[in-house]
Amino acid sequence: MSGRVFSVILLPTSECNVACDYCFERKEPHRLSAALLPLLTRRLLDHLENERIEECEIYWQGGEAMIMGPSWFADAGEIMDRAAAKRGRRFIHYLQTNLISYSPAWNDVIRDMFDGSLGTSMDYPNLHRKLFKGGAEAYTELWTRRLHEAKAAGIRVGVIAVLHRGSLEAGPERFYRYFTEELGLTDFQVNTPFPGGPAKEVEGGFQLDSAELASFLVGLFNLWIAEGYASGVSLGPFDALIDHFTAKPARLPCIWKENCSNQFISVDSKGTVAQCDCWVTSYPDYFFGNIFREPDLTQMLKSSRARQDFIQRPKRLVEVEDCLSCRYLSICHGGCPVRTYSALGTMMAKDPYCEVYKAVFACAEARGREILRRGLAAAGNSEPRDGSALHRMVRTSSSRSPNVTPASA
Amino acid sequence: MTRCTSQPVAILPSALAEGPGVEAFVAVVRSRDELYRWLRDPAPGLQWLQVEGMLGDSDIWTEAAHGESGVPLDVVLSDPALEFSDLYRLVDACAVRSIRVTIRVAPGFLKAAKLAAALRLPIRILPGQPTTQELAELNELLELYLHQPMVEAPVEFFHSLLATMFGADSGSLWTILEEDPAEFPHYDPSGRARLPRSGVFDSTGTSFRGFVENHLKSLVEQGAECASCPWQRSCAAYFKWPDPTYSCEGVKRLFCKVKEAADEIGRDLASRADAKTSIPNLTGSDTR
Repeated sequence: MSGRVFSVILLPTSECNVACDYCFERKEPHRLSAALLPLLTRRLLDHLENERIEECEIYWQGGEAMIMGPSWFADAGEIMDRAAAKRGRRFIHYLQTNLISYSPAWNDVIRDMFDGSLGTSMDYPNLHRKLFKGGAEAYTELWTRRLHEAKAAGIRVGVIAVLHRGSLEAGPERFYRYFTEELGLTDFQVNTPFPGGPAKEVEGGFQLDSAELASFLVGLFNLWIAEGYASGVSLGPFDALIDHFTAKPARLPCIWKENCSNQFISVDSKGTVAQCDCWVTSYPDYFFGNIFREPDLTQMLKSSRARQDFIQRPKRLVEVEDCLSCRYLSICHGGCPVRTYSALGTMMAKDPYCEVYKAVFACAEARGREILRRGLAAAGNSEPRDGSALHRMVRTSSSRSPNVTPASA
Repeated sequence: MTRCTSQPVAILPSALAEGPGVEAFVAVVRSRDELYRWLRDPAPGLQWLQVEGMLGDSDIWTEAAHGESGVPLDVVLSDPALEFSDLYRLVDACAVRSIRVTIRVAPGFLKAAKLAAALRLPIRILPGQPTTQELAELNELLELYLHQPMVEAPVEFFHSLLATMFGADSGSLWTILEEDPAEFPHYDPSGRARLPRSGVFDSTGTSFRGFVENHLKSLVEQGAECASCPWQRSCAAYFKWPDPTYSCEGVKRLFCKVKEAADEIGRDLASRADAKTSIPNLTGSDTR
């Protein structure tokens, strides 16, 4: 059995109970039928067997996942986990929700199926997440109440914030204090926006100036290092980058993977398969197929012409872009296909946020080096010079040394 | 790659490796069938597979990513400037087995070395007798290896050479690069041992045993620059083969750079007399 993990972003419905300005999804009143869940599960398990993969992460989201109700999830989890166990496999479930319809009725399923945690989203300031009635202000008020209720019930909550012009105007300090002090969160992450899906006039307003965005992110990074890093605040993706630059195992976000095509797919309520939720909800030209209509997911992924573009993308980028000469190629690989496609109309180019990423990586490298120096100094060792051979050797002789095991061992 | 024996490791074409009696060997595979055969059923004594001419075949890398046997792979790039972007095909297989990339130095090889390093793949550079252009690329790669913290995996021969300068017993470049015919005899399809980078064969199977020593001794006796070379022990006239008249001026600068880096590390480590930690273990990739 391999050590690989396969992930599925599973959308049990495209319906949603809120009306956010920048949502790229096509909202349809369609839900994944409980009757089809065993078939979906079988297809996924067949694929895991074909690929000799033991573990599959299921990221439940929508639309709005909680529309399905807690008992639907309890049944779904039981069906999937029982089928997986019979075949020596394992599903690990994660829930991403807007929390708006959270109630204590969810507590059992969140504890049992999702290991007592969930992910949700909120921006600062919240200008674009809106209820159908009451707008952004009412959304913030209701969401905040739900957040506190969930936390009071012992649920661990992680929050994703999408940056927008208002965030940049507020500045890193107010942004950081909102999440850590006003909401009392110790686990949140920042995402860059992109104009996905059918063109909408409002999305023009989400294009951010790269220099301003980079400046904001670097400021936020430094603030987090100064105040949050040592005290246990997890701020993604900065925490993963610091792990990387301090020679710890790091799980970088999907936008910086060597090639996302072999690591996850997304499946919507109708069985449509595409690269990720952004593609499955927005770009029919890039659908890989339908998991209910095609009997073999492995074969579908192998033969899909649309998927070939994803496989070829990193290769193309090192051939035609300047990625090969970039210091940070090993942690970026040209960035995110959908961010590129939504901005440029092709995925065969590097991520438009390239300069933003470089600024963040440089900041992470510098902060990581400082952390290593402090660690070395505390251990009574001399401080390595910037970029010195010692720094290089300390890294090489750390746990990242390759493990080349003889076949016959 | 790490071998699990003190015996010589025979580098054999796949078909020859099927035969009995080889205690430790590397099977050279050049087709899907050969690769799949060894992945499915690795024979005792198999140290790793040397995969040649198949980097562009996506199907085999899908199969290699299944990884039941865990056989390590040494993927050889013969035309690195052309093949380099195909290294992305190895990503999944790397998650389930050890993979090293061997790059024969040729103009443009640096692109492959850079991408392999970005994918955190251990690298073996086979320098041969590098031209001026190739030396420039070797210098750039050495600079990246020594000073770019983003390069994490070992780059041979730089890595073991640096370790040697800290007292590690990595042997000469012939051993580091697995080209010493006494330790790594390479065989052709008819079963004849062949000297590396040459068409010289040994039908008896014994005359190559002292090849490196004899080669160096002969050059020293002839007054070649090896006689007074400060890197004689580490190099053992590696760069004087097959052409004994090759000028080592450029490669000596590589050795000097490695030595400067070793000195810098030594100074850094010695700069605090009460250092509580010992010198890092630099022998990770080639420890036997």
